[in-house]
Amino acid sequence: MAKGKSLLAYAVTRGVLAVPMLLILLTMVFFVLRVLPGDPVLALWHGREPPPSVVEEARRELGLDQPVWVQYARYMTGIFRGDLGTSIGEFYHGKPVWGEIATRLPATVELAIGGMVVASVIGIPLGVISGARRDTLADVVIRLYGTIVWVIPIFWLGVIFQIVFAIGLGWFPPHGRWQGTTYPKAVTGMYTIDSLLEGNFSHFTMAVRHLFLPCLTLGLVLSGFFTKTVRANMIRTMGADYTEASRARGIPERRVVGRHAFKNALVPVITVLGLQFAILFAGAVLTEKTFSIEGIGLLLLESVISKDMTMIQGIVVVYATIIVAISLVIDVLGALVDPRIRL
Amino acid sequence: MARKMLIIGVVIIVLLIVAGSAAYVFLSAPKKYSIELWYNSDGHYGSTEAALATTLKNSIESCGKVTVVLKSDIWTSYRTLRNQGKLPFFLLGWYPDYYDTDDYISPFMASSGSPSFGSFYSNATVDQWIADEQTTASTAIRADRFTKLQNKLADDVPYIPLFSGYSESAYLSTITNVKLHPISFKWFIIDKPGSTELNGSTIDKITSLDPALAYDYFSTELDFNLFDNLLVYEPTNAALMPGLATAVPTIANGLISPDGKNYTYNLRPNIRFSDGTALNATVVKRSIDRAIRLNDPGGAAFLLWDNGKLGRSAANGNNTPPGAITVTPNDLSITFHLSAPVPYFNDIIGFTVSAPVPWTYDQNAAQPDTVGSVIGSGPYMLTGHTPNQQFVLTRNPLYHSPGLYSSFGIPIVPVEDKVTINIRASSTALKNDLSVNPKLADVVYRSLSPADLKDLQTQATTLGIKVDIASSPFIRYLVFNANTISDIRVRQAIAYSVDRQAIDRDVFDTNVEPLYTLIPPGFPFSAPYSQPVFQSKYGDHNCPAANAVWSALGYAVGFGVRDLVARDF
Repeated sequence: MAKGKSLLAYAVTRGVLAVPMLLILLTMVFFVLRVLPGDPVLALWHGREPPPSVVEEARRELGLDQPVWVQYARYMTGIFRGDLGTSIGEFYHGKPVWGEIATRLPATVELAIGGMVVASVIGIPLGVISGARRDTLADVVIRLYGTIVWVIPIFWLGVIFQIVFAIGLGWFPPHGRWQGTTYPKAVTGMYTIDSLLEGNFSHFTMAVRHLFLPCLTLGLVLSGFFTKTVRANMIRTMGADYTEASRARGIPERRVVGRHAFKNALVPVITVLGLQFAILFAGAVLTEKTFSIEGIGLLLLESVISKDMTMIQGIVVVYATIIVAISLVIDVLGALVDPRIRL
Repeated sequence: MARKMLIIGVVIIVLLIVAGSAAYVFLSAPKKYSIELWYNSDGHYGSTEAALATTLKNSIESCGKVTVVLKSDIWTSYRTLRNQGKLPFFLLGWYPDYYDTDDYISPFMASSGSPSFGSFYSNATVDQWIADEQTTASTAIRADRFTKLQNKLADDVPYIPLFSGYSESAYLSTITNVKLHPISFKWFIIDKPGSTELNGSTIDKITSLDPALAYDYFSTELDFNLFDNLLVYEPTNAALMPGLATAVPTIANGLISPDGKNYTYNLRPNIRFSDGTALNATVVKRSIDRAIRLNDPGGAAFLLWDNGKLGRSAANGNNTPPGAITVTPNDLSITFHLSAPVPYFNDIIGFTVSAPVPWTYDQNAAQPDTVGSVIGSGPYMLTGHTPNQQFVLTRNPLYHSPGLYSSFGIPIVPVEDKVTINIRASSTALKNDLSVNPKLADVVYRSLSPADLKDLQTQATTLGIKVDIASSPFIRYLVFNANTISDIRVRQAIAYSVDRQAIDRDVFDTNVEPLYTLIPPGFPFSAPYSQPVFQSKYGDHNCPAANAVWSALGYAVGFGVRDLVARDF
């Protein structure tokens, strides 16, 4: 009971601390965007040139003629009401920021989760093998693999996969999330989940086939980091006293590695790997562009180009919230596993 | 002896001075004019902008008297710097707001328009010529003024026209009637023999399908398929023909008043929107008033109330002023009373912002882009929309005139029952749509990069596709800030140096048309007036003429032996 209370207090404290962090981040983004050169109003007409009076009227309508502190006060008031504002950019102006983000977010989340699965399935076993068989040929090969995939540009790898597996072999669609005009009924916005919810296996297969290459691209790159992290921790635990003691008791090597070394190596690995979601989201921008997946990464890219300040702020808030939430979950899990963290 | 030594000394000194002077003249680098050339760095004009700027730099520098410093910025900053007058010499592009020659002249050269181009060119005589051509229906007067204006453009060089753009489409070789229309791509005339459905791909995005708001290319393209206007464009060119109206107004047919200020459109009887509601003159008036009242930032409503001289009255709820639009009691005729003659008013009426929308459309805000909310009177209706991914257009059973284009060899529109347009994120994705087996698209339209376009052209036979390229009304040009580079001779010298052929050859794989005036010659609305004034006055890459100007300006000191040796002839 006492343990549960302590854990709850820890989680609440971390959650409360996340709020000012998000506000500081949001304030910084707000002012940085306004300090940077460039006028979003001028981009509204898609390269055309309306009379100056029309441009000025638009500026008034969008509230951009107000002093910055007034705009800031309005924006923050909106945030506390749960309103991320309306877009002022070239393509989404007048539309609610949250509406656009909510439309795009499921694609990115689906991609990130798929990428994480690929990275884990490939990276963790390779890291374990590499760490357990240190300085063997397998270790050298896996280390080389880890280094190479970690430095490969995501867009390059994506294009290669498209050429080989989509255009050359025709095994997977080259891009997009869907084919045809009958989409799964939207519940979560993630086509894999939604097709399962409606019990349509052919839809599920189509969703997975579209996800395969982008997730493989993203996951493969990240698996390099996973491999290296798991290997380093495996080497540490393989040389630990409890591992030696296990061996001395005559426990087979397979069990020593699996039950003792790997389990203990996984605790710090989970902390580090969880934070890789941030990298996944960053990598998703390039993956989404390469595979024509209209996720939040592409939305951010478009917003930066058109200097859609409210949309950028909204996306940063969502990104930051996701990262903070993941960090919080990892911290709590860590605290649950290792009580020393709560001290 | 001393005298002899003195003479020798003097001779040596003289020889040294002469030798030094000669060395200075022959070996020192020539005095060069230095200029910054700015270009956009984030793809606003596609992926070729840096190559274009570099080609321009090389062509200007290779004449030997100018150093060009390339600078770039992202679009939002670029435009801000331009409007603030901080760009001395830079690249821009122009897509017309309305399809009339005036739109290639007045925004550029009028004192009121040039600041928004960063040119700040101002000339009272030019302003008067523009006012003359804008307020007359006489083609003779317009021809005279456009000739004068183009000659003045070549004399004063506030802009250097470079080339007109191109549009491209790649499609299965069995498909017919893919027309690269200069204004809008018409999906409803494309025929896929043996099929009732067509799949298309694009990388464009919409802003809004509400005609009052739509002003970007793809939104207006879809609207041209979903909404008909009083006047519509012919299938292959920018000539207007009757759409919802029964005739194109002219002074000759009496539908334009002799003073050019009143335009009357008679509607076809019994027209209905795709939801079955009536489309009459009152609905047309309400639609025009709605667009003007909403006056969306980024929208085209200003074409109606500002360029179109219909006005916008705060006292009348931000609608048109009372009496600006009148409707006959039988609701079959509508007259627009302009505050001044506008010779291109028919073109504005043919643009999407003037498209009638049903009575049920939101009168105070944008109509949603969802299925069931987008209701028009065009050949297609919207039956599927997955945001940022896909549009599905299906035959409108209530379309008013399926035989509208029969005189152009298209008996019934729409030809296909259903068109699905998928949105991709890159040019390469469009190329892949036609490269995979089975193909994911029958037609890809906008925009293939020069590299992907060339790939598809090369593989056309293998892939079983055709690739079409056609002129577009889009033009590219260089702008001089007349305040910063005020000496006309400098601008003229650079106009001599520019090499349009190199741009066409090296940057665009010979797909663009070199342009020698701001008015592109290949369109019905501009052809009678377009004159290649820069070709006759400056030619292309005329270095001797350029250097003669530079010499007169004092940029002729030194022969630059090292430069001459190093220069690649």
